[in-house]
Amino acid sequence: MNTNTVNSKKAIAQLTIVRIIVYIILAILTILCLFSFYMLIINSTRSNGELQGGFTLIPSTHFIQNLVNAWNDSSINIPRGMLNSFLIAALSAICATYFSALTAYGIHAYNFRGKKFAYWFILAIMVIPSQVAASGFVQICYKFGLTNNYLMLILPGIASPVVFFYMKQYMEAVLPMEIVEAARVDGSNEFFTFNRVILPMLKPALAVQLIFTFVASWNNYFLPSLLLTKSELKTVPIMIAQLRSADYSKFDMGKVYMFILLAILPVVIVYLILNRNIIKGVTSGSVKG
Amino acid sequence: MKKLLALILASAMVLTMLAVPAFAEEAEAPAEEIVMHEGVTAEGEGTVFNIYAWNEEFKGFFEKYYQVPEGVTVNWIIVPSDGGAYQNALDEALLNQENASADDKVDMFLAEADYILKYTGSELTQDVGALGVTDFSNAYEYTVQAASDANGVVKGVSFQCCPSALIYRRSIAKDVLGTDDPAEVQEALSDWDKFAAVADQAKEKGYYMTASFAATYRPFSNNASTPWVVDGALQIPAEVQQWIDLTDSMMEKEESLTSGIWEDECTAQMFAEGKTMCYFGPAWYFNFSMGNAQDPEKGCPGDWAICEGPMAHFWGGTWILAPAGTDNPTMVADVMNTFINDEAVCEELVVNEAQFSNNQAVNGKFAEDPAFGVEFLGGQNATAVFVEMAKNIKFENGTIYDQLCNEGLQNNLQDFYRGGSTKDEALANFYKYINESYPEVVTP
Amino acid sequence: MKEKKEKRHVSYAKWGLIFIAPFFIAYIIFSLAPQIITIYNAFFENYRSGLTIVGPNFVGLRNFVSLFTPDANGTIDILKYTGNTLLMWVEGAIPQIVIALLLAIFFTSYRLKIKGQGFFKAVIYMPNMIMASAFSMLFFTLFSNVGPVNQVIQAMGWADATIDFFSMTVTVRGMIALMNFLMWFGNTTILLMAGIMGIDQSMFEAANIDGANSLQTFFRVTLPLLKPILVYTIITAMIGGLQMFDVPQVLTNGFGVPNRTTMTLVMYLNNFLSGKNYGMSGAVSVILFIVTGILSLITFRSLRTQSEEA
Repeated sequence: MNTNTVNSKKAIAQLTIVRIIVYIILAILTILCLFSFYMLIINSTRSNGELQGGFTLIPSTHFIQNLVNAWNDSSINIPRGMLNSFLIAALSAICATYFSALTAYGIHAYNFRGKKFAYWFILAIMVIPSQVAASGFVQICYKFGLTNNYLMLILPGIASPVVFFYMKQYMEAVLPMEIVEAARVDGSNEFFTFNRVILPMLKPALAVQLIFTFVASWNNYFLPSLLLTKSELKTVPIMIAQLRSADYSKFDMGKVYMFILLAILPVVIVYLILNRNIIKGVTSGSVKG
Repeated sequence: MKKLLALILASAMVLTMLAVPAFAEEAEAPAEEIVMHEGVTAEGEGTVFNIYAWNEEFKGFFEKYYQVPEGVTVNWIIVPSDGGAYQNALDEALLNQENASADDKVDMFLAEADYILKYTGSELTQDVGALGVTDFSNAYEYTVQAASDANGVVKGVSFQCCPSALIYRRSIAKDVLGTDDPAEVQEALSDWDKFAAVADQAKEKGYYMTASFAATYRPFSNNASTPWVVDGALQIPAEVQQWIDLTDSMMEKEESLTSGIWEDECTAQMFAEGKTMCYFGPAWYFNFSMGNAQDPEKGCPGDWAICEGPMAHFWGGTWILAPAGTDNPTMVADVMNTFINDEAVCEELVVNEAQFSNNQAVNGKFAEDPAFGVEFLGGQNATAVFVEMAKNIKFENGTIYDQLCNEGLQNNLQDFYRGGSTKDEALANFYKYINESYPEVVTP
Repeated sequence: MKEKKEKRHVSYAKWGLIFIAPFFIAYIIFSLAPQIITIYNAFFENYRSGLTIVGPNFVGLRNFVSLFTPDANGTIDILKYTGNTLLMWVEGAIPQIVIALLLAIFFTSYRLKIKGQGFFKAVIYMPNMIMASAFSMLFFTLFSNVGPVNQVIQAMGWADATIDFFSMTVTVRGMIALMNFLMWFGNTTILLMAGIMGIDQSMFEAANIDGANSLQTFFRVTLPLLKPILVYTIITAMIGGLQMFDVPQVLTNGFGVPNRTTMTLVMYLNNFLSGKNYGMSGAVSVILFIVTGILSLITFRSLRTQSEEA
């Protein structure tokens, strides 16, 4: 009895120390992470002239001015750019995530001839750097008149080896064959089983990959800048680059920082929505289990 | 999943709603009466006019001063220059010009001096003389030279002229030279030996001569007496070598900062508390890129003046070129003629847009106008200085390699001046940089 | 029993093929041709001089030979850039994976019950939301000669003269590693957390009842079950690391200052690509592919066998 309380007291003291260390680590990381945002916010309150004078820690007074200037800049259309980016990013995230899960499940749950080859083939192409094929892809698009076509930015996502690999590994960890077998209803369509039974079990993984693929697509500049040349189709990173290559009379870093800041907001919203899903999926899963 | 989809769709709708009012706002009534050139086109020519550019400078002038002929729609294809995107997209479009449908053909595109030869030297641009642009008597010679191929065939025109002056702080000049009068300062800085001597004097008084190692680069490089590549071998032109020697010595004596022209360290020197005597640049530079100097509180507007400096030269400027295969040849020629020969339009450019136009007659008028002084320059008439300078500017010995050579040399030498590499290493890295893009060029 | 299972699998086989079909169709349509062209180009002289296309002329292995030919100082560039890339990756990736693993354990731990989890989880992912180019721009101003870091150093009297952070290999590499760490540790944490949360919670409860302490639970329960995800994390981090590009590109304006000691393989590739030198860019791509492939395979195999033994 006595030793027990001593032990538990000791344990509580230990736990408190560990907690303190953990919070210190978290605090340091938080400061590091938020500092760049702090800089961004400060910069978005400063005029182009002030920005040329170097960085300071104190905000200035041009926030509204920069917002109005960026919003009214005739070379870009912020809401339109956000909408375009959102459309492309959301659709390519859904394509990449859904089809990767489907592919991973196809290899995870079934035995068929060439399965091993398919698996290793996908892993092999995962190793090919994305920059490699990009310029060839651009040339093909120009040759066949496929520029200014969103499908060229969305559909290639169906074949995302990295997302596939994650899904496959995740299934290996949480989806043993017994569960797959149990989920099967004899005679029912396998496609139906995947969509209705398997996908919900993958919720945390889906949410994670939706976030990552969404952010990657949202921030993508290289391919869109070469393929989307019509002003009404342009995405946020192209518009930001356009502000940066504006001529001397319109060049204004205040607008640039303001737009960079604005461009983060939709991503934060998407993140917060999906992030909740990472936990939700697990709690509902564990209730089931 | 369903909820997620619903959320995504909902947020998309919100964004759309946000987008709608912005579109509605676009129609704005023109503020005042301005002169516009009545555009012309010809029967049977294309109805869509595609212009490729990397920013909206020319678009602004075009929309204000050029009345697009009826039945023609102008499409602006603006591709930012970041990451080389503009030239990449333009090159692909030009190389596919033959197969493109009439409405997708490039009808006109913009280019800068550093890479203009890549286009004028190619079959993908055409002789504008054949289209009807023949009168260059009022345009500055260098702007015509720049747009010509090796055989002297002119492939385009520039809508501006960019003579670049030596911009100095009056108060510092007074302290160092005992005068801030442009004529006397010019006398003291009329060649590079004098410039180096004044740099020594300035240093003694605690000033920097220039705020960037690259401040003096353009006067030398744009006056090169030999091309960068001779018989397939890279050869640093004598003038550029002279720049390296001058800069080596100035850096050693700490008469200049190691900063790049557009870096904070350089622009911070423009504040009133700055210690830098000289900048180099055209009208666009002191009008738009010296924001710190113009700052009403921390700046020093009025404490500046310009003179020709050791060497007349140009910096920047944009040319409009005529691609082969355009289906709007009449309108292409008409636009080009407008911006060099329509005096009314050129006058508007000078008065409203702070441009030094590419029309000698028009600029001449303003050079003599005493009311045309620039407040930032303490009332000095900049146009008068530029009119004299522009006559002496040349554009010779250009190559398709110029952009790469200029960027490569400056950036690699900056690494040396900052102490990141030795001079030999910097030059070796420069040669590597050239060969990575142009394996055919023989480097030392 | 076993026989029955196998029979079942056979009858379901067509579904496997149907499920993986979209991936392969999309791959063949959108990626295969450009990838084959790239590899094909590696054996040709093929570049643009201005707008004039030179080649393609078959040159065999000449492009590879020239990549491995030492320069006047005896340096083989491609090896130097491979070294730069790996070194900067390791500098950023080790803290990235260690911290991410720690955070994932903190956040999923029963006992610690970290408060404000939602806040921390959002914060650590935020650097990844800023575009890499914008992030680099911020660091550029932060560490410039007149930037706040220098101002603080001088105000504190730690140094007399301005410190030019961009003139020293250590500092530029450090900045790049720090940025990569900040951009990716949140991402990795989320991956690992999702992995830990996917583990059957009853396993932890069982370990708890058996009286295992936190460390024991971690090494005996969490780590083995997390292994597939950890393998994924390490391999993709490595692939991403070998393709390191935008941060050093923007920070050093593409020149890999000082003296090309921060030039990465893909920056080198990009120099060829932006000059439209398809022959050489193809050759660099092939080498990058081989290096990444070998390293991934080694990692994959070694981690695999460990997990199978366990």
